[in-house]
Amino acid sequence: MNKDMINLCEFVLKTAKDAGADDCRVAYNKSRFVEVQYREHKAETVKEATTQGLGVDIYVNGRYSSQGTSDLRHDALKSFVINVIEAAKLLEEDPYRSLPDPRFYEGRKDIDLNILDKEYEKLTPEHRHKMAQELEESCLQAGGEKVISATSQVYDEFAEEIILTSNGFWGEQQSTVCYKFAEMTAQDEGDRRPNGYHYAVGRAMKDLPSCKKIGEEAAARTLSLFGGKKLKTETLPIIIENRNVGRVLDGFVQAMNGWALQQKRSFLLNKKGEKIGSDIFHMIDDPFVMGGLGSRLYDGDGFATQKRIMIENGVLNEYYIDWYRSRKLGVEPTTGGTSNLIIPAGKRSVAEIMKDLGRGILINGFIGGNSNSNTGDFSIGITGTLFENGQFTQAVAEMNIADNHMEFWKKLAEAANDPWTNSSWHMPSLVFMDVVVAGV
Amino acid sequence: MGSMSRRTFLNTSLAIGGATALTRIIPNIWVQPARAATVGFFESEFGINNILCKKILEKALSKGGDFADIYFEHTISNWVSLEDGKVDRAYGSIDLGVGIRTVKGDQTGYGFTQELTEESMLAAAATAATIANDAMKYETKEFVQLDVKNHYPLERLFTEISLSLKLPLVKQVNEKCFGLSGHVIKVNATMHDQQKRILIYTSDGVKAEDIIPRNYIAASVVAEKDGRQERAGWNFGGRHEFSYFTPTLVDRLAHEVVKRALVLFDAEQPPAGELPVVLGPGLTGILLHEAIGHGMEADFNRKGVSTYATMIGKRVAEPFVNIVDEGITDRQLGSINVDDEGVPGQKTMLVENGILTSYLHDRISARHYKVNPTGNGRRESYQHYPIPRMRNTYMLSGECTPEEVIKSVKKGIYVTDVSNGQVKIGEGDFAFYISQGNMIEDGKITKPVKDINIMGNGPKMLQNVTMVANDMELYEGGTGACGKDGQRVPVSFGLPTCLVKSLTVGGVQKQGA
Repeated sequence: MNKDMINLCEFVLKTAKDAGADDCRVAYNKSRFVEVQYREHKAETVKEATTQGLGVDIYVNGRYSSQGTSDLRHDALKSFVINVIEAAKLLEEDPYRSLPDPRFYEGRKDIDLNILDKEYEKLTPEHRHKMAQELEESCLQAGGEKVISATSQVYDEFAEEIILTSNGFWGEQQSTVCYKFAEMTAQDEGDRRPNGYHYAVGRAMKDLPSCKKIGEEAAARTLSLFGGKKLKTETLPIIIENRNVGRVLDGFVQAMNGWALQQKRSFLLNKKGEKIGSDIFHMIDDPFVMGGLGSRLYDGDGFATQKRIMIENGVLNEYYIDWYRSRKLGVEPTTGGTSNLIIPAGKRSVAEIMKDLGRGILINGFIGGNSNSNTGDFSIGITGTLFENGQFTQAVAEMNIADNHMEFWKKLAEAANDPWTNSSWHMPSLVFMDVVVAGV
Repeated sequence: MGSMSRRTFLNTSLAIGGATALTRIIPNIWVQPARAATVGFFESEFGINNILCKKILEKALSKGGDFADIYFEHTISNWVSLEDGKVDRAYGSIDLGVGIRTVKGDQTGYGFTQELTEESMLAAAATAATIANDAMKYETKEFVQLDVKNHYPLERLFTEISLSLKLPLVKQVNEKCFGLSGHVIKVNATMHDQQKRILIYTSDGVKAEDIIPRNYIAASVVAEKDGRQERAGWNFGGRHEFSYFTPTLVDRLAHEVVKRALVLFDAEQPPAGELPVVLGPGLTGILLHEAIGHGMEADFNRKGVSTYATMIGKRVAEPFVNIVDEGITDRQLGSINVDDEGVPGQKTMLVENGILTSYLHDRISARHYKVNPTGNGRRESYQHYPIPRMRNTYMLSGECTPEEVIKSVKKGIYVTDVSNGQVKIGEGDFAFYISQGNMIEDGKITKPVKDINIMGNGPKMLQNVTMVANDMELYEGGTGACGKDGQRVPVSFGLPTCLVKSLTVGGVQKQGA
C-alpha cells in the first residue's frame, strides 16, 4: 500500500483529534484510469487521469458531519478538518451517531478475494487501441449493411483505498476493474434507428470474453430490435433477461434498507420472517466471490463481512441495516448495503423454458420507470421479443409492465441457468407468470 | 472585523472552502463582503495566468489538432439535513481540478489533474495531445476575456453564509409539515448549496470565468392513514441568492409536499393502454426533454444515430408548437452565462411553428455542420470533456385555455407530477414516470392516479400534440439533473398545459376489463 496515503490519513486523524473531535473516520481513495473509444476506424476519444479524494467523518459533542475534498495539500487539509469540526458544532445533537462498536470490526477474513489484477501495469496503450479496434471491427462486420454507427470502448482502472478510524479500524484495499464495450445503431424501417450494445466487466482484461465475441453480440442485439412495435395489452408470462433483472429488483432491495425501514418508507417494514415471494425466490449476499465486482472483506462501516441469506424460499430473512440505522431502530446491525447479490441460477436455458411457456415476452431492455418504496407499486417500460412455442415471432417496443413488488415476486416461476456476472448483482434470467404487458 | 478576509468567512460557514490555510476560526458570524467577484479567483488562489495557460495549450497542441481548451474548476457543495425532527447532519465536498482537451476533427484527447501545478497540468496536456500526430505548429492567439450578461449574480456567496442562518429554515420545514396534517409521520428536509467557479481558456483566444450557484430546499414527507403509508417530495431552487430562501418559501414548500402526500391515499394505478394525456404546466416539461431534446443533441445527429438525424427543416408538429432550449432565463437551473467550452449562453429554437429548426451544438458538432456553436457544450466537471447538453427546455404558450384542453378529453390522464424519464435516441421511444396525476372523465378532472410509466415515441408524440394552452410555467425546482454518457448536469424544463392525443399508459389492468 502507498505509504504517502497512509501518512496523510494518520495526519488527518491526528489533526482532527487535536482540534477537538471526539472521534474521526478518514477514507482516502485514489485511482488511475484509461479509457479509449473508437468509431469510424479511429480513436474518437482517449482519456486518462489519476483522481483522488479524501473523506472525513467527524464526531464531536454528539454531533456529526461528513465532508470530502480533492485538495490534499497539507495546509489546505488542516484548515479543512478544523472547519468540519467547527461547522459540526453548530448542528443539533444526534445521540445515535457514533463510530461502530469495534467488536464488529473483528473476525475479518484473511483471504485474497482476487480483485486485483497483478499484471495490470502490463497493459500498454497499443494493447488498448488494438482491443478497441477489434471490438469496433467485429461489430461492423456482424452488423453488415444496416450499420449506421458502431462505437467501441475499452476501460481499465487501478484503485487504492485506505480507511482509518480513531477507534481502531484499519482497512486497505487495492483493486482493478476493466471493461470492453461495443454498441451499434442500425437503420430499421422509416426513421427508426435501433441501438443495441453488449459489454463485459471484470477484474482483469484476460478474464473477459474476446473482443470479437462482444462486438458480434452487440450487433446481434441491435438487429434483434428491428421491427419493434407496440402490441395489444395482454396478460402474459414474461422472461426478464439476466442483465435486466437488477433494474426491477432494485426497487425491492431499496425497501430492505435500514434507512427506508426506519424512515417508514418501506413496503417491507415488519415483513421479516414473512413470505414475500414464491418458493423459488432466493437471494444471497456473498462478499467472498473470487474476483466478484462486489467482493469485500469489510463493509462501509468497517464491519467484517459475512455471507448472508437474505431471502430463502420466498421468506424475507434479513434487512440491510448499517450501524447508525441499527442504533435508531434498536436492532442488531447486519450490513449497510449489498456486496455480491445473487439469485441462484436454475437448471434450464432460456430457450428450453420458452418452449414450455407458449406465448410470452422475453424482455431485453427497460426504459424509464420507477418504484414506490412505500407501497411497492412499480411501473417500467420494456423492449423485448414476443415468442410463441419456443420461437421468436415479433420484436416489441414502447410497451410497459406495472405491478406491486409484494405480488410480483410471488409470480416468479423459474430461474434460468445463465447468471450475469458483469455486475455485482449476479442474476439469471427470471420467469414471471401472468404479468400485464401494456401496449395499444 | 475590518481585518478579516473574505476567505476566513468562507471557512466559518458550513462550506468548507479553504484553499488557503486558516489563521483563526470565528464560527457563526457573517459580515457583508463586497459583491461576489466573478473574475480573478484562479489567478489569486492558484497563480493561473495567461502565460501559463498559453504554455499548456501549446503542449496540448504539440502533436497537431484543431483546437484545445483548459477548464479549471473549484466547486464547493454543502448539504444540511433534517431527520426525525433534528438538523443533525451536514455533508459537503470540495472539488478542485483542471481538464485539458485536444480536438482533432471529431476526435478528442482528454487528461485531467487535481494538482494545479505546472508539471501536473503539462502532463495532462501531454495526455490530451496523444489524440493527434501531425507536425502542425500552434499559432498563439491573444486571450480575450469573454464579457456576457450574468444571469445569476450573487450579492453574497453561499460559502459566506453561516450554517446558523440555514439551519432555522430547514427546521421550519419540519414544524410546518407536521403542523399541516396529523397524518404526517415522517419529515425529511435538506438544504443544498453549491458554488462552482470555472475558468476556461481556449486555443482560439477565449478566456471565460464564472461563478455558477446552484441551490435548493427540499422536503419529503411520509403520511399514514388507516394503516397505509404514502410519501411525496417537493423542492424549490435554481441559481438563487440566499435571500430567495425565506420563511414564506418554506411555507409554500410545506403546503406543496403535504398536499401531494395526502392526495395519494385516494390514488390508484390507472388502467393500462393507449389514452389521451393532458400534461399540466411546469415540471411535465420532462416530456419534451425526453421526447425531443435528447434527439436534437447534435452529437447523436452527427453520428446519424438519432431519429431526428434527417428531419431539420421538416414539419414535425402542428404550427402552434414552438420549442426552445436556452441558457438565459435569470436564476433558472439550466441557465449558463457561458457554456463549458467558452461559448456564451444563448437561446436556441428547436421547433418553430412546427418546423424542426436547429440541433443543440457543441464546438465539435458545430464545426461538422459548419454552423456556429449554440452554447450547449456542457460537462459535469473537470473530469469530463464537454458534449452537447440541454439547458432550460420548454414549449412556448399557445392560445387556448387550460380548461379548454381538459374539457376536450372524454377519457384520459391529467399529469401533475413527473419524477424521471428516459429515451432511446435511435428509435425515439421514450418513457416518463408519473408520480401523480388524475383521471379525466367526460372533460373533468376526477380521481387521482399515481405511479405509472407513460411511454411514447418522440416524433409521433410531437405530431400528436393537438392543443397547447396559454399557461407556460418553468419548473421551479433545484434538483433537476440530466444524465448522458455518465455525466450529470443541472437542467430545467417547462410546459404549458397541452394535450397529447395518445400515449401508452403503463397501468395495471387491461383497459375496459
